[in-house]
Amino acid sequence: MSGLRVFNTSILLFVIFMIQELLIARINFPISGFSLYLAALMVVLALEDRSGSLVFGFIGGVILDFSPSADSPLGQWALVLTIIGYLYSINKESIGDFLDSPFLFLLFVSFATALSLSIFLIVGAMLGTNNGGLLDNLLLIFVNSLWTILITPLFLPIIIRVRKMLMSNRERI
Amino acid sequence: MARGGGNRSRLLLVLLLVSALFLITLDLRGINLASGVRSAVATAFSPVEKLASKIFSPVGNFTSDLRNFNQSKKKINDLTKEVDLLKSKEVLDEDLVSQVSQLKNLLDLAGRGGYKVVAAKVVNRGSAATFKQTITIDVGSADGVTKNMTVIADGGLVGVVKSVTSNSAIVLLMSDPTFKVGVRIVGTQGIGVISGQGGDTYLLQLLDATGEIKVGDNLVARGSENGRPYVPGVPVGEVTKVASNASAITQNADVVGFVNIDRVSVVAVVVAPPKSDPRDALIPKPAPTVTVLVTPTPTPSK
Repeated sequence: MSGLRVFNTSILLFVIFMIQELLIARINFPISGFSLYLAALMVVLALEDRSGSLVFGFIGGVILDFSPSADSPLGQWALVLTIIGYLYSINKESIGDFLDSPFLFLLFVSFATALSLSIFLIVGAMLGTNNGGLLDNLLLIFVNSLWTILITPLFLPIIIRVRKMLMSNRERI
Repeated sequence: MARGGGNRSRLLLVLLLVSALFLITLDLRGINLASGVRSAVATAFSPVEKLASKIFSPVGNFTSDLRNFNQSKKKINDLTKEVDLLKSKEVLDEDLVSQVSQLKNLLDLAGRGGYKVVAAKVVNRGSAATFKQTITIDVGSADGVTKNMTVIADGGLVGVVKSVTSNSAIVLLMSDPTFKVGVRIVGTQGIGVISGQGGDTYLLQLLDATGEIKVGDNLVARGSENGRPYVPGVPVGEVTKVASNASAITQNADVVGFVNIDRVSVVAVVVAPPKSDPRDALIPKPAPTVTVLVTPTPTPSK
């Protein structure tokens, strides 16, 4: 994995983060919101190789830690998404099976988003962050997953295409 | 070869985990990297947020509009007639009219309460990934706004300023589960605490288990010392349901806020508390009932 690719993908993630913060966050989704950034990051992690999943999990987490509306300690999302990146990297072959079917991949992205939000809550509880009631948070995660299933097909092809554009010719082969 | 790759991955994992834990440790030990970085990001985003707010303000409520499609259909018919009428009067910007109306009511509320306020527009809402219910407003420290100031809107309390940059501020909304405010019941003077529940309703816990509370009771903020974070007398909400449980230490009730937080677009930050507590003066008064008395007069016979 080249340094240029790390830089390009980080820029891509930051642009998605800006879209999330400036546009998606403005929409009042019923019950709870939708995180375009998390869903897109889960797609990117699934398409990366083992070390790519780890590196972009960490970078993606650091970017999310910069969110002005976040109240969590800096590094919490980085830790959570590095763990998620690790889970991706050790299950690379199994994830490959999901990539064959678009619907299964959609379900997988939704599940991974829910899992990362759940791990964030668990790590937050361990660090003493007050994130509200358990039932409210479970509902929030559930609804977020539903939105992910509904909205991800709209941007999934774009993410895949842009990611391909960012790869060098050798990496594409 | 594979073994070498595995070792490299493991080393990378350890390195990244240690980096993340290092950042968390720095943050928890009070080396406040987070607020500096977030404040810088907020400052950088602020002009773009203002622009996005102007462009996408009609998009924000499209999902709730979809949910109320049936009601909307009838409303559309009524509004079409109204629009024709308004067009003739050259009233073009409905959004602006709504904001002006909100601002007028808001300034009226602040004036009656004796609050010194700075008006602001809502330019963004908190991200779903943060588990926090927040809004971003377009005023900051340059306008005299500091942390822990009360934020009100047309009708009453909205939340409290959580963090500030030079030209924007993040407000923790009343609906956030970590939000708590001390309130007083108008009339009975019973006191309690209101907490956000993540939705449109709030939970009121009355501190006196034997205190009297009933549906329809209005609540106002009790106020904090020196008016930070809460100034006294701000209308908070109305009791909609009382949970009666004789064995409970506190009495609980459901409360609906006077402000529809989902649709609020103009707010005001209270930068100075009133000289005297306005008490119950700001509670919206019910519209007076007009009784028409008609005395029948006999028709003069020809």
